[in-house]
Amino acid sequence: MNGKQGTAKFAEAALPTLSVVIFLMAWEVFVRWRGIAPIFLPAPSSISFYLWRMIADGTMEYHLGVTLLRIFAGFFIAAATGIALGLLMGMSRIVARVADVWIAALYPLPKISLIPLLIIWLGTGEAYRIVISAITAFFPIVISTYSGIRQADQGLMKAAKDLGANTRQIQLKVVIPAAMPSILSGLQLGMGVTIILIVAAEMIGGSSQSGMGYLLINSGQVMETEKVFASLVVLAVMGAVIIKLQQWGDRKIAPWVAHDDR
Amino acid sequence: MDVVVEDVTQIWGGERTQVVALDRFSHRFPSDRFSCLLGPSGCGKSTLVQIVGGLEQATSGRVRIQDPQKGDSQRPLGADSVMVWQNLNLFPWRNVIDNVAFGLEMRGVARNERYERANVLLGSVGLRGFERHLPGQLSGGMRQRVALARALIMERPILLMDEPFAALDAQTKIVMQEELLRIFDQTHKTVVFVTHAIEEAILLGDEVIVMTARPGRIKEVIPVNLPRPRSLEMINTLEFGALFDRAFHLIREEVTAAMAQQAEMVAGH
Repeated sequence: MNGKQGTAKFAEAALPTLSVVIFLMAWEVFVRWRGIAPIFLPAPSSISFYLWRMIADGTMEYHLGVTLLRIFAGFFIAAATGIALGLLMGMSRIVARVADVWIAALYPLPKISLIPLLIIWLGTGEAYRIVISAITAFFPIVISTYSGIRQADQGLMKAAKDLGANTRQIQLKVVIPAAMPSILSGLQLGMGVTIILIVAAEMIGGSSQSGMGYLLINSGQVMETEKVFASLVVLAVMGAVIIKLQQWGDRKIAPWVAHDDR
Repeated sequence: MDVVVEDVTQIWGGERTQVVALDRFSHRFPSDRFSCLLGPSGCGKSTLVQIVGGLEQATSGRVRIQDPQKGDSQRPLGADSVMVWQNLNLFPWRNVIDNVAFGLEMRGVARNERYERANVLLGSVGLRGFERHLPGQLSGGMRQRVALARALIMERPILLMDEPFAALDAQTKIVMQEELLRIFDQTHKTVVFVTHAIEEAILLGDEVIVMTARPGRIKEVIPVNLPRPRSLEMINTLEFGALFDRAFHLIREEVTAAMAQQAEMVAGH
């Protein structure tokens, strides 16, 4: 009985990894057997080789580092301003009224469409990249912060008042913690779009010559498809790591929220 | 503390859809007595209790809190009463001891002192060892006890309880009722206890105020002269049975009326 259970559990855990391995093996075989030119679809083995080389000579480290720096700069600005405005809107009806109009007008605009304008204003340097990503991430953060405060459980606020809390105490000790799950989910969204916008900005407007986006588009232009794939792999891993870190952070900040097991 | 409710009326809603939750409700809840508000759903009993607690504003009428020894001195609503809510309203981000000590923290009591007092209360409701747990990790009955401890730590003379045991399973309910009786015997607070369970109202209360369906008025006040300390065995006595009968007949037609109201509401949409 135990043997069977053990085997079943092992199989369940191993299955995802196994499926990836089988997929890669099939890919390798397919490319070699059909003699497909590496320009179109390189084999996993040669992608790994190029990836390894880029890591070894510091290329990957450099570009990844630059991209990460930009991501965190943009995200931090968006988070600080978004949360601040969201809190302000929650505490002042006038601010909420005024800001709401602007948010409603600008949120539906695909922020990528602002790129040409920002390039005119800010050139193609760091400023434009960080601004475009901060602007995009700002919206989900401010909206979910405000919404979290608006939707704070009235019952909890009444209970706090009943127990002697004054207005300031209710705001600080009840409303903000109650809004925390919403704020954190807004930050998750914000991080997601920051990553997208930074990589996109690195691809468009090439004065940077650095970052994962640049790596992608440059490798593509010179038809070094192995490097394109290698960059994609690194981006995917980077994204996954950031998401996991954020989820871990969320659990630390808001341990009372029920999370799905991943 | 006496709680004197005078002609309290509560009207919800705007121009078109007015709902009269309470209609000139008047009653004097005597000091050190356990009063039960018994009525069907929607009869305004929760609203009344919140008005008494200073957490809702009555449309008209007055509530006065009087210290019987000091004559007719008026006290502000809310300062002398504390609520135990129907859905508990525990702060989910705070652990048990921080929930219980919340009121003291708001008052500015130092941490050591408020934790000390919270520990005493947790001991008395049997939650020793769970101080650092989050409410989400506790069972319904345990959360109920946290809510009770959070209210009792305030040491206010009036205890307002809004169907606190409604969501508990039958056995936990019995345990909590016995606990409440014990606490009442020890502390002699003025208790206003809202329930829709007839048996509970008679078991716990010195008087049962039967309310009508909406708009909520007093249908009848049934004095309960069973001796204290109460015990569950009293449920089987003839006297209890007679009281139950009386309450049941009073409330039965109100429950039917309330159900009809709800059917109307559903049909109207």
